[in-house]
Amino acid sequence: MLPIIIVISIGLAIIITARPEITRNPGGKILAFLALFVLPSVSGVWGVAAHLEQSKKTVFCLSCHPMYEYGKSLLVDDAEFVPAVHYQNNFIPRDKACYTCHTDYTLYGDLNSKIRGLRHLMVFYSGNIPDTLQLYSPYNNRECLNCHSGMRKFEESSPHIETPMTRDSLSLNTLSCLSSGCHDVIHDVHNLDDVALYNDSL
Amino acid sequence: MATRTKIEWRLRFSGALICIGLLVEIITLFWTHPTIFLMYLIAGGSFLAVGILLYLLALIPSDKS
Repeated sequence: MLPIIIVISIGLAIIITARPEITRNPGGKILAFLALFVLPSVSGVWGVAAHLEQSKKTVFCLSCHPMYEYGKSLLVDDAEFVPAVHYQNNFIPRDKACYTCHTDYTLYGDLNSKIRGLRHLMVFYSGNIPDTLQLYSPYNNRECLNCHSGMRKFEESSPHIETPMTRDSLSLNTLSCLSSGCHDVIHDVHNLDDVALYNDSL
Repeated sequence: MATRTKIEWRLRFSGALICIGLLVEIITLFWTHPTIFLMYLIAGGSFLAVGILLYLLALIPSDKS
């Protein structure tokens, strides 16, 4: 729908550009208002929304070369790899795999993700890309529990309910899901050379 | 051809800028890459914003025109 509106907008803007004298009559004034204000404004705002939606896609994240190995880690044929298990079993939407786990499930989570994305771009174009990409802050259990909390398999799993304290510690983020020795194989991009892949394409 | 007024020249310029902005938008819409996103925001957004602003300025009555 958006491309159609843009094409119509371009057509009307061309008419006004080629024949501005049509704005001397009331019909022309209305046409100019539509062509030079209403439709470009709608197209512009809609375009931003469309691009923001595109930026949530897995192919968007992996389109930058430094992310190639991270994409590969989604295809590893090893149930120890947390991202691979989530991706291959559709625990997360495949087309938004990176975004689903790397956004903050907070009020301004989407905005924060975009700001982080802009910082990534700055790092990319500055050429100072670190060998190991690190999160800006430790991974918060909130992102895991957004889906897993209340899930029967999670709630009935013995390590999660070992003591009442365990479940509370997970909720309070004082016991990390990822770095407490439980689910600690994440992307592990430096050890992907010899691993078997479940599938060759994302 | 009738002589164009100052407002009409402004409308022409505004229309041309908006056309360029919309062309940038439609081209970038079919690409998925962070750089394209920035290109849309910076190039497309600027052309559209200046074009719209110029149109709005053209609406303000001026004694000279």
